[in-house]
Order: sequence, then C-alpha cells, then structure tokens
Amino acid sequence: MPRFHVYWIFTKKAFLRSAVYRFDVWSRLGSNLIFLLMWGSIWTALYAGREEAGGISFQAMLTYIVVSQFLTGVNGAGTPLWEIQEKVRTGDIALELMRPFNVPLRYLFADFGSVAFYIVTALIPIYAMLFIFMDFTLPTDVFTWAGFISAAFIGFLIRYCIEMAFGLLSFFLVETGGIEDIFYFAMSLLSGSVIPLWFFPEWLAKIAVYLPFQGIYYIPNAIFIGEIAGGEILLSLGLQIFWVLICYFLLRLVWNRASHKVVVQGG
Amino acid sequence: MAAIKYVNLYFKLVSAGVRAQMQYRFAFIMRIVGLITAYTGTAVTMWVMLYQFQVLGSWNFFEMLFLYAIAILSWGFCVILFLHFRSLDTYILNGTFDRFLVRPINPFFHFMAMKFDMASFGQFIFSLLIFIWVSLELHIEWSSGKVLFLLASIIGGILIQGGMLVLISAIAFWTTKSQQFYWVVMYPARNLTNYPLVIYPKIVQWIAAFVVPFGFVNYFPAAVILEKGTPFFPASIGYFSPLVGLVFFIIAYCVWMLGLSRYKSTGS
Amino acid sequence: MAIIEVANVRKDFMIAKRETGMMGALKSLIKREYVKKEAVKDISFSINEGEIVGYIGPNGAGKSTTIKMLTGILVPSSGNVFVNGLVPYENRQENAKSIGVVFGQRSQLWWDLPTIESFDLLKEIYQVSNQRYKKNMDTFTEILGLDEFLNTPVRQLSLGQRMRADIAASLLHDPPILFLDEPTIGLDVVAKEKMRTFIKEINQERKITVILTTHDMEDIERLCERMILIDHGMKVYDGEIAMIKERFGKTRTLVVDLEESTRSLQLLGGEVWKEEGNRYWIKFNRDEVSASQLIAQITKTHSVKDLTVEEPAIESIISRIYQEGYQPLKA
Repeated sequence: MPRFHVYWIFTKKAFLRSAVYRFDVWSRLGSNLIFLLMWGSIWTALYAGREEAGGISFQAMLTYIVVSQFLTGVNGAGTPLWEIQEKVRTGDIALELMRPFNVPLRYLFADFGSVAFYIVTALIPIYAMLFIFMDFTLPTDVFTWAGFISAAFIGFLIRYCIEMAFGLLSFFLVETGGIEDIFYFAMSLLSGSVIPLWFFPEWLAKIAVYLPFQGIYYIPNAIFIGEIAGGEILLSLGLQIFWVLICYFLLRLVWNRASHKVVVQGG
Repeated sequence: MAAIKYVNLYFKLVSAGVRAQMQYRFAFIMRIVGLITAYTGTAVTMWVMLYQFQVLGSWNFFEMLFLYAIAILSWGFCVILFLHFRSLDTYILNGTFDRFLVRPINPFFHFMAMKFDMASFGQFIFSLLIFIWVSLELHIEWSSGKVLFLLASIIGGILIQGGMLVLISAIAFWTTKSQQFYWVVMYPARNLTNYPLVIYPKIVQWIAAFVVPFGFVNYFPAAVILEKGTPFFPASIGYFSPLVGLVFFIIAYCVWMLGLSRYKSTGS
Repeated sequence: MAIIEVANVRKDFMIAKRETGMMGALKSLIKREYVKKEAVKDISFSINEGEIVGYIGPNGAGKSTTIKMLTGILVPSSGNVFVNGLVPYENRQENAKSIGVVFGQRSQLWWDLPTIESFDLLKEIYQVSNQRYKKNMDTFTEILGLDEFLNTPVRQLSLGQRMRADIAASLLHDPPILFLDEPTIGLDVVAKEKMRTFIKEINQERKITVILTTHDMEDIERLCERMILIDHGMKVYDGEIAMIKERFGKTRTLVVDLEESTRSLQLLGGEVWKEEGNRYWIKFNRDEVSASQLIAQITKTHSVKDLTVEEPAIESIISRIYQEGYQPLKA
C-alpha cells in the first residue's frame, strides 16, 4: 500500500510521545498490578485450596487471570474512550476530515505506537518476572504461541473498533454516560476478562458466545492455557476475524454518518 | 466569620452548583443511568462469580451484596461532596484555582462547596433496594442499635473516602497531578474493597486497616452486622469506623492546607 | 500616601528540565532534573492611593508573578510586600476584602449560571450588605449596561459582556485596590473603549487605585500617567509616561519616496536605517536637526514623490527599551 507510510509515521510519533508522559506509564502499570492482585486473590479464594474446579486446574485458572490482566494492560494503553469523546467535542476529529487519510485507521496506528511503548517498557518486564518466579502454565509448542499472539492481536482490533465506535457516538449524543457504562460492563464481564465463559451460567454463556466481546479476552486467554487447542484454535481465529470484520464495518458506518453530519451540519 | 455564616454560605454555594448541573438535564439523567448500570454490572459479576463457587472466603452472594451496598452508599455521599477534588490538578494547571485564593473565605471550604453532584442520588435508591433485599434474604433483625451503628459507619466511610479524595487532590499541590492518582490509587482501592478483605494477602489487609483505612468503610462494619469473623483482626474493630474516619479526614485536611501553603510558595 | 509597597521582592521557581531525543525520553522516565528560574529578581516600587499604574513587560517578565504576590496567591522568596497596610500572603483573607481582581483570560464567574447569580454569590462571599449591593449593582448596571445580559448564563456571554460582568463582580465589595490582568485582551475596538472609559471613571469617582497589566499600549496611553516597566524580573523604568515620551520621543523617522532609487543618500544629521525599493527611512534627532532641514537636503539632489514624519509610538519606545536597556538619566 503506497499510503501505508503515512500511518507508520503516526505509529512512530505516538511511540516517542508516550515517552514524555512517564507518569502515565507508571500509573497505568500500578493500577494494572493492583487489579491483578485483586483478581488473583479472588480466584485463589474461590478455589479455596482445591486443585481443580469444573475441569480447570487452579494453576491454569491463575494463568488465565494473569494473561487476561496482561491483555487488559495492552488494550488500555491506546487512546482512551474519554479522549476520543473529548476530541469529538473540541472538534479535533472533525478537523482531521480535511486530511488525506482514513481517520479511524490513523488513530489505530497511533495506538500501535503507544501500546508498543507500554508493552516494551512496562508490561513485558513485569509480566516476564511474574512468569519466571511464579508457577504458571506456559504454552510449549509454537503453534499455540502463534495462535495466542494472533488471537490477542485480533482481539485488540475488535476492542479498538468497538471502543472507537462508542467514542464517535459523541457526535450524536451530548452525554454518553449511560451507554458508556454498558460498554464497560460488557467489556469486563461478557469478554470473559475476569471470569472465563465456562464458569458462566449456561444461558449467559450462550449469550456471550454470540457476541464479539469474547474475542477480546476469552479466546486468547483460553488458547494460552490450552483450553482451546488444536483445530479449535483455527476455528476461534476464524470467528474472531468474522467479528473484527463486522465491528470494522460498524465503525465505518458510524464514522461515515459522523463525517456526513460534520460536512452537512457543521458538526 | 462565624460558623453559622459559613453554613449559610455553604448552602448558597451548593445550591448554585446544583442549579448549574440542572442546566444539563439530559446529561444528568444519563449519568444516573450510567452509575446504576455500572453498579448493577458489578453486582451481576459477583453473582456470576458465585454461581459455580457459592462462597468467596466464607462470604456468600447476599453477604457480599450487603458489603457492596455499604460501600456504594457511603461512596454516593462522597461523590456528592468531594469527588471534584480529584480534578484539582486541572484547576491548578489552567489557573482557575487562583480564584479561590483571591476571595476572603477558606479556600478548602470554597473549593468543596463549588460542586454538589446530585447524580449520585441514583446510588442511594440502588443501595437502599439492596439493603431491603439482602435483609429479607439473610433475615437481618434491624434493631435501633444496628441502624444507628450502620449510620455511624456510613459517616465513617464518607469521611475515610472523602479524606482519601482530599489527600489525592493535595498531591496536585506538589506534582500538579491528582486525577491520575485517583485512577491509580483510589479507583483500584475502591474496587478491592468491594470484596471481603479476608481473601487478600495479610499485608494488603493490614494496609487496608491501618494505612489507607478502606477496610473501615465496609468490611469491618459489615462483619459486625452480619456477625462474620474477621481473621487477623478483633471482631469489634468495626465499631471504630467513625473514629477512624474522623481522624483520617482531619489528617487529610491538614495535608491539604500544608499543600496549599506549598503551592503559595512555588506557584507550581 | 502609599497604598502598595513592594521592597526588594524576589521570587524563584524550580522548573523541570525537558530532555530531548529518544534516550532523553527514556531517561526522563526515571529521573528528572530541575533548574532554578528567577521569575522576579529584585523589584521595588510604591503606589499611591488613587493612582492608575500600568505594569508592563514582555511575556515571562514576571508580571503575573508580581500580581500574584500582591494578591496573596504567592509568597515571595524574599523582600517585603504591603498592600493597604497588610502583608498579603500572611493575611490573605483579610487582604482579599480590600482588593478586586480581574483576570482577563479567566472568568471569575459561575460559568453555567445566569450572570446575576454570580453577583448574588459574591455578595455572600464578600458579606456585602443589601444596601451597598443594591447601590453598586444599580451603578454598574447603568455604566456597564449589565441589564442586557444579567439573565444569560455566563458561558453564553460575548467576551465583551463577560469582561464587563467580571469587572463589575470584582468591585461589588468596594475594594480600594483593583488589579486588572489584561482587561482588554481579545476585545474589539468598541468594547475596549468602553472598558477603558469605565476604568477611568471608577478611578476618578471612587478613588480606586488601579494596577493594570496589558500588552495593549493604547490602554496605557489612555489610562495611565505612570508606568512600571519590567523585563527579566527587573524593573527597567518607573515613572511618568509623558517623561519617557519626551526622552525617547526625540527620535523621529522621516519616510521619503523618491522618484528613482539612489545609492548615496548621505544626509547631515540623519541616518538611513532601512530602504525598500524607492522608499527610505531616515532616523534623526529632533534636537540636532529639524525635519525641514533634512527635506531641504534631500530635494537638492533628488526629486521627492511623497514624505511623512513619524513620531514614535509608545509601543516602539518600549520595544526599544527592551532591546537596548534603559539608562536612567544622570541628574
């Protein structure tokens, strides 16, 4: 793609910019670790000394939570929802309509930069230590690793599309508080980020399976601990790709309506 | 100025804040909806979590709901009275804080009275419904003593969490940052205390009791009312909640005033 | 009688050093260095009751820092400040009662409420009696035309209206001293004029002492008799505006348009300091040579199309002082 270069610049710039906000890096890491402690403690207490529950070993469950917290860190290092909303309100995003690039993609590539900085400087050092000093399940074959990394990446894209689409709703609504909270709730519960889908009541699990959120945390986590294995990995990746396409389509739709609104009504 | 005048002024300022908020009615309603959704979300998460496992460190779903309802209730008052303290950094950075310093009244008081977020009244309805539901499920006998104790602990909880918000805002006087500290310290801490403290490592429990006394917001008082054990701590520790709150808030106030004098010498 | 006394005041700040480049960025994640910045080095002045004083300086000269020390927002690193007999930072609340402050860039009013409500609240905060409040509101409404927007929320006011409301708000409690920080910034010509008229009026009728910082030299020329000029935290001039004009105003510029360009425009008593096409700017000192003498010299050798004599505006005088520094006259 000839214009790919433009997006790459955004990635590079965002990477460098992240370095300036040192406090952001530390504070995000700090709160990420507190939540890791919280969910680790909760699952330890739920297992209450049992070696396994519902066919899942305690060790695998703890690994699930650690991986999930790692991915939460990754997903939280991009442009946050409120910042997108702020940019909509101040008209920053509307201004970018004049520029010769695809705006949602431009923000995605900028996020790649800031996320990369955060992964390299904060997440990898800390989580590598955790895996070295604690007894967690690590995938042993390359196929699982490749599956996990792809699933995590596609999950990131799904999350990005949904979050950006929600952020752009500010073009149409003055206050999005209520909708936002529904989004956060779905993100935390239905994605399986803190409770894996197999511990859900059956009816809720059924709902979650038919929603895109499970692609963000549940699928990569489950691949990592080997709950999704072999041919199922490809199947799950296929499902994620299906969802990422739908979500991207949705994002484009919201974006087109939003830019239409800017062009016709002046924002 | 006499105290009575300050009380009078407080109501005048606060009612202005409320009227300002009511200018944005749609936003106000959306915020209530948002808060209730968020709280319901956490409650549902708790329910899902215990669907297979039944108990979390000997606390069952209803007991956890009760614990949670106390936290929300006192937090609701904090949102009304103190939540805007966390954005003190913004006020300092864009220079609007100076206006609190050119007026002939106590700046802490002035800043506190600036906002009064009515949206958390939604929270009160939510937590009251939960109290009723849980009381029926767990057959709690509400003697007047227990009600009084609950009220006192809620005041304690308001003072502890309000004090924490004041402390966090005071950091802005030194570092010009406070909002972020809220998200790093207070937000995770509040989430942590939604679950019974007993499940955490001893050091965390100890910190929650004696350093950042969030344990007194809901865990210790709830344990007293539900007659649950609090390992590592005497059973009656919950009774100290109001006292801890008072002391903690006074400390927070002093730190804030100290920060203010530092602000006056550095200008940040 | 001096109502404001500033003696050898100094104010230092510590500023974080910004690291550059990739390595610098990573380094600043761990450690940050600080440098001392002297915002105000050594400033002394005293202001008498009823004066309007222009407090002028380029950005970063230390204007706001001084104002903040006078209002009690900042404590000086050393030196003494007295405002109306009080040390502002020691008796901040007491001092606040005797000063009015307007920050041109930031409103002091309640953004989302009808303007009148801000006045009501300030009445409570400053404990203004009903009688005095009513009297002041009537006066301000009359002079400033507040009634046209009293029921409009502050956020919907035009900048001019907002400034009028802000200045009225700062005077509700009848302070003897008024600090105006850029009161005309961003206003259009008409609104600026209204503002100046009002400031002049309250100064004359209420004997309010006014300290004014501004970047608009017209504010100074229209309002102030005295000006304090600071630069790099030091006072460079303090005195009458008429005097500084007299002193620096001796340099005039003669602008001539010639029929054709020339290389050698050598003049006795004048100096060409700029040329553009056929236009020449000639600087001369009024005491040494007169404009007509210069013109006579030029017309002898060249044919002149057009000419004008420019008197230096206060603005250019000041920018000259910043560039060259001010050498006080020897008595």
